[in-house]
Amino acid sequence: MSGSQSSKVLKFSGHGYLRQRLILATLSGRIIKINKIRSEDNDPGLKDFEASFLRLLEKVTNGSTIEINYTGTSILYKPGVITGGKIYHECGTSRGIGYFLEPLVALAPFSKQPFDLTLTGITNDNTDISMDSMRTVTLLQLKKFGIEEGLELKISKRGSAPLGGGEVNFKCPIIRSLKPMQFTDEGRIKRIRGIASCTRVSPQNANRLVDSARSVLNRYIPDIYIYTDVYKGEESGKSPGFALNLVAESTTGVLYCSEQAALSGETPEDIGSRTAKLLLNEISKGGCVDSLNQWLILLLMVLGPEDVSKIRIGKLTAFTIQYLRDIKDIFDVTFKIKLDTTNNSLLLACVGVGYINYSKKTT
Amino acid sequence: MDNKEHKSHRPRQAGSKKDKKTKKQKKTEEKNNPKAFAPLSGRKAEKLARRKQELVQKKLHVPLVDRTPLEPPPVVVAVVGPPQTGKTTLIKSLVKRYTKHNITEVKGPITVVSGKKRRLTFIECTNDMNCMIDVAKIADLVLLLIDASFGFEMETFEFLNILQVHGFPKIIGVLTHLDKFKKIKTLKTTKKRLKHRFWTEIYQGAKLFYLSGIINGRYPDKEIQNLSRFISVMKFRPLIWRNTHPYLVADRVEDLTDPEEVRQNPLCDRIVTLYGYLRGTNMKANMKVHIPGAGDQYLSDISILPDPCPLPDKVRRRLSEKHKVIYAPMSNVGGIMYDKDAVYIDVPGSFIKRSDHTNDVEEYEQGPGEKMVMNLQDVPDTLAAKLEESKLSIFANSVPMKASDLAEENNYDNSGGKRDTDEEDDDSEEEEFDSDDNDNSESEDDKEDEEEEEEDDEEEDNDNDEEEENNYEEEKIIKEKSSSRRAAISKFDVKDDTNEEEIIYAESDSDMDDIVGQDDEDDSDLDGALRWKSNLTGKAKEIFFANRRINIMELIYSNEKSPEEIASGDLSDLLKVSTVPEDKKDNVEEEDNEEFFKIAKKDIESMNVIDSTKSYLDISNLDKWDDDDTLESIRNRFITGSLEDDISAGENDSSDSEIRGDFEDLETGEIVIGEVDKSKEELEQKALAQKRALLKKKFDAEYDEKDSTPKVDFYDEVKEEISKQLQLNREEFEDDDPHTRAMVEGFRPGTYVRILLREMPCEFVKYFDPTYPIIVGGLLTTEENLGFIQVRIKRHRWHKRILKTKDPLIFSLGWRRFQSIPIYSLNDGTRNRMLKYTPEHMHCLATFYGPIYPPNTGFCAVQSVSNDSTAAFRISATGIVLDNNHSVEIVKKLKLTGVPYKIFKNTAFIKNMFTSALEVAKFEGAAIRTVSGIRGQVKKPLSKSEGHFRATFEDKVLMSDIVFLRAWYPIKPKKFYNPVTSLLLSSKKEWQGMRLTGQIRRELDIETPKNPDSRYKKIDRQNRRFNPLHIPLSLQANLPFASKPKLPKKRTNQLYTQKRAVVLEPKEKKMYTLMQQIHTLKKEKDRKRKEKQTKKHLEYAKKMAKQEAVLAEKDKKERKEYFRKQGLSQKRKITSEGTSKRSKTR
Repeated sequence: MSGSQSSKVLKFSGHGYLRQRLILATLSGRIIKINKIRSEDNDPGLKDFEASFLRLLEKVTNGSTIEINYTGTSILYKPGVITGGKIYHECGTSRGIGYFLEPLVALAPFSKQPFDLTLTGITNDNTDISMDSMRTVTLLQLKKFGIEEGLELKISKRGSAPLGGGEVNFKCPIIRSLKPMQFTDEGRIKRIRGIASCTRVSPQNANRLVDSARSVLNRYIPDIYIYTDVYKGEESGKSPGFALNLVAESTTGVLYCSEQAALSGETPEDIGSRTAKLLLNEISKGGCVDSLNQWLILLLMVLGPEDVSKIRIGKLTAFTIQYLRDIKDIFDVTFKIKLDTTNNSLLLACVGVGYINYSKKTT
Repeated sequence: MDNKEHKSHRPRQAGSKKDKKTKKQKKTEEKNNPKAFAPLSGRKAEKLARRKQELVQKKLHVPLVDRTPLEPPPVVVAVVGPPQTGKTTLIKSLVKRYTKHNITEVKGPITVVSGKKRRLTFIECTNDMNCMIDVAKIADLVLLLIDASFGFEMETFEFLNILQVHGFPKIIGVLTHLDKFKKIKTLKTTKKRLKHRFWTEIYQGAKLFYLSGIINGRYPDKEIQNLSRFISVMKFRPLIWRNTHPYLVADRVEDLTDPEEVRQNPLCDRIVTLYGYLRGTNMKANMKVHIPGAGDQYLSDISILPDPCPLPDKVRRRLSEKHKVIYAPMSNVGGIMYDKDAVYIDVPGSFIKRSDHTNDVEEYEQGPGEKMVMNLQDVPDTLAAKLEESKLSIFANSVPMKASDLAEENNYDNSGGKRDTDEEDDDSEEEEFDSDDNDNSESEDDKEDEEEEEEDDEEEDNDNDEEEENNYEEEKIIKEKSSSRRAAISKFDVKDDTNEEEIIYAESDSDMDDIVGQDDEDDSDLDGALRWKSNLTGKAKEIFFANRRINIMELIYSNEKSPEEIASGDLSDLLKVSTVPEDKKDNVEEEDNEEFFKIAKKDIESMNVIDSTKSYLDISNLDKWDDDDTLESIRNRFITGSLEDDISAGENDSSDSEIRGDFEDLETGEIVIGEVDKSKEELEQKALAQKRALLKKKFDAEYDEKDSTPKVDFYDEVKEEISKQLQLNREEFEDDDPHTRAMVEGFRPGTYVRILLREMPCEFVKYFDPTYPIIVGGLLTTEENLGFIQVRIKRHRWHKRILKTKDPLIFSLGWRRFQSIPIYSLNDGTRNRMLKYTPEHMHCLATFYGPIYPPNTGFCAVQSVSNDSTAAFRISATGIVLDNNHSVEIVKKLKLTGVPYKIFKNTAFIKNMFTSALEVAKFEGAAIRTVSGIRGQVKKPLSKSEGHFRATFEDKVLMSDIVFLRAWYPIKPKKFYNPVTSLLLSSKKEWQGMRLTGQIRRELDIETPKNPDSRYKKIDRQNRRFNPLHIPLSLQANLPFASKPKLPKKRTNQLYTQKRAVVLEPKEKKMYTLMQQIHTLKKEKDRKRKEKQTKKHLEYAKKMAKQEAVLAEKDKKERKEYFRKQGLSQKRKITSEGTSKRSKTR
């Protein structure tokens, strides 16, 4: 028996892909050990945002234990039950809110109580997914798996990079199980939408963002509408900044998105055209899901019932490839990956594990 | 011939036959002309319509996904019944019916082919609770045997209750022992009675079979045939648990532990293989499984074996005798007997070469064939050994070449290129197999053949030459033993190759290069005869790499390249250079040797990895989008792009997905690519046609929508969706190689597999008993974990006692049977309150520690699984899982009491409730109450005396009052989880888990400790006397009216009504006097009547007294006479006794 017990602990190393491993462990209920977290670095161990994420994970679960060694270079994580409920968490300013909220999106549908998560921090920056993209693209991915009603992300305050001060509220319903999904028809782009937001700067910046983005995209399609979202006063956080988020929607409902936030010294025109080009880049890759949300779609496919789910992906990102490997380690699910030579995209198919929300109560 | 008129048929004019006919006729008329029989009244029509609709709705069931594969695994038919009801006889009869085999003993599962598309596995269920629970979890069809001469027995109902909670499979009742009834009438009534009782238990109209008597040790063929027909047409509804979990019912078990290891340590963990058909969902290779009765295990290896009991290969009208196969490795069928670690063949004595001393007593003459067989047994070496010794000299004067030399060479080859030799081995084995099949019918005489067959029976694919040699040697040893039963040792010598196999597979390319290089060198030396072989390797290599070229999966899932490398490079380039470059390969090797070095390097690489999805997007090469050509290149990705270009680009577009099926676009895409070469005109035409079709569709959709789309209700919609998904599941992996299929899909149900388990406890093998089913139940990832489970539970109404909190209970939940300690509770709207006992006739909640299971899973609980021969109903409770959690919220009420020792106005100092100021501090502000109902609050601890505190009340409390604080104390169930390991016991019926405290006390003869405080004593309660409230008059005077005592004083003067005189009116007076006169008259009359009555009474009494006196006299006389006689007889008796005594003494 002792042998089988010891083989239960999955071992990983390195600080990269920390969140996904923790989330996969939480969903599967497997104990994981992550070591060599920046063990060679001058500043070894967990960073403040990683510790903060662990705290957040502890808040949304019940009975999970996290053992961190003295130097902070290794974690032993024993997952508990996902409880959800009303939770408030301060994310700090070293990473955006996206760093925290992104992985929790996969966790939220399988909790005991519906998530009502309030996070404060930076809403738009260039390292993590912005709240606009989360709202307009990531959450819509869940709809394909049967999670529709009550899914909501509200940006009550916006906070730009150095000091943050933004606040979002994420609500997610709970479900018993997901639906299988087949999505291989990418269709063609029929409209482009976007949000140009600015905080503590002249509202004119937003208009300049819109204009520059349109100048690149107008040649393809006339149906472009970019909203300007100007926050004032209390709601605009603590730092000045502006950002643009673009979403292209295809005839079959594929969403490609790109986003950029301004660094200091950059003009709205730079940001506008860069975001538009990033969007074109994304469109040229093709597939039925954009690069930011590949992991989520693949994870939800794995968690589906014991049926075949299938998706077309233009180009796998490094993040996704590592994700596939981690899924294989933790859930023991391998994807069938087939190269479609006609448009150089990949067809990924898998049989779900038949995941059921174990923590959901029945009456 | 004869035109004589036949007598015409005269239909009956009256009687039952006529009635029947008219009724029938009316029915047909109704059917043919429904209008004529339409209900006249609207109400009746409405009623009819409602009834019809009700029937329709009754038929509907929740649509469930049926995951049984096209070639389903054998249906598990469990034969269940109390002892001596004829279970074994029934199985024997059915097996005889299906296969014409007479089986001598029924042990373990027996698989037979029952029809063109159906196989059956019979399992006999003993009446042990463990066995019943396990069988209930796997049975698809239950044959429930009932001894009609006895009636229903407890076991039957117990089994039905177990079935109900674990998903109700199909049940056919079978009444046996019907020949014991002498009278037809009693037989009839019993049948009817049992049938109706059976129906109430299952459903009205459930099938019940009657088996009359036993002929030749079997049930009558006719009845068995009927039963078999019912079994063969039985349809099964998917059961939720089995539809979400893979499982396997093992029909063969083998111990593969190295005998040497066992010899050294008989208690070492064993390596065990289990064989059986996969059922349920797909089983994954590294799955954790639970074997009920033996515990959790990780699958070490799983491999597909050829079906030992295959369905007929092609569709036939009838099942030929050849295809009526039986497979029962544990129950000695057809002379082949599979033991734990060996296969025995029962050979009738005649062909056995007897040992020498018996040889001379031969009684009969041997035929030439028999002699040959006998002689063959004298051969000292095996065929392989002989072959090895065989010599071949090519030239007359050359040194003869030995086969063994060649073999060595072969071995050398093998050690290098394992992969291709494996393939060859496979081929050769298949050939062997084929040849065996051919001459199977004629020659059982060749001994070698026999042995090869045995090997084939075992069917394994990863054998090396060395291993084979070992086998031959072992067989040789066995041959020398001459007995009527010969053991053939399995070829399955355990090496740790099962795991290694995959590793070798992954790394083989590096080895391959080496081998190929060697082969190239060797090529020149080889003569012509062997040249083809070298080509083969080369070809194999080519094929191998050709395969690899398209294998993206390997690129992504093998850890050779980091994700960044794969993502940054072009995929097609990466795939082309899939062979590992030389320097890289060296690195890989180094990695194995010097782990330190490698890892350090990796760390530096991953130092600046940022954990973000966004950081993997490159913003660097955006300049290309300034170029017009690049911009134009994605024009087709927008709806504004032209359609033709799109087609020629081979993209799959189509604005509506209805034209193309959602999933076939890959194929259509390929088709389109093939058409690129066609002339442009054709393409244009095609595009036009497409456009037209589109337009037409649009038009149709707009104008004749109502007619074209049939109305589909929700039910049909869901069913359609399910079937579509199933179709897709089947098609998706159809044309993939088995390796990828196993990796992606897992092993599909219906395949016959061999499962290897390491670290099995030795008792599993040591005390293996084939009569107990061995189930391998797959666990989903979350089900491995332990936690607190909340269930809704109800004590079974037939169970004698109510259940007590914290008494251990054995649960059968999911695949598992385990003992745990439940705490019962009931939710009163605000909190979960602990209950000491389960309610009598109500559901309650129970919380215990155990493995997590999905909510809504049913379970049953028993108090003991050991056979303590109680006639009582053994199922204690049933219920379902409600919730899983890692903490519990059960509370019980706690009342803290204290007494006031100093009372101010509304404030009192309370003592004896707490022991320290800290405790008081914890309860500051808590509500308290006195017995008399005065409410209050805990204020502050008193500094002087520990544990005393100040409290305020809404009124002044009395010194005699008791103050109490009502609190809730959280209860946590004990973390006790004890899986029932009944299969590991020598006698499986005697598993005993944790005992009850009372049981232990009884067994160890310990007295129950008694707390004197808990003893019941008579309480003397003095009656309290309260003095009347006395308020001084001076005070009373000052009181407001509301507060004044309102006790009235005694009146001294008379009231008006008491004082006044009443004078009557003349008329009133008249009336009054009249009434008085009437009353006087009546009184007088009554008085006279009464007088008369008394007189009469007196006379009667006198008369009676006289009579009485006479009677008394008579009685007295009679008594006197009686007693006189009595006295006399007694006297006589005494005297006679006295004389006899005297005579005795004398």
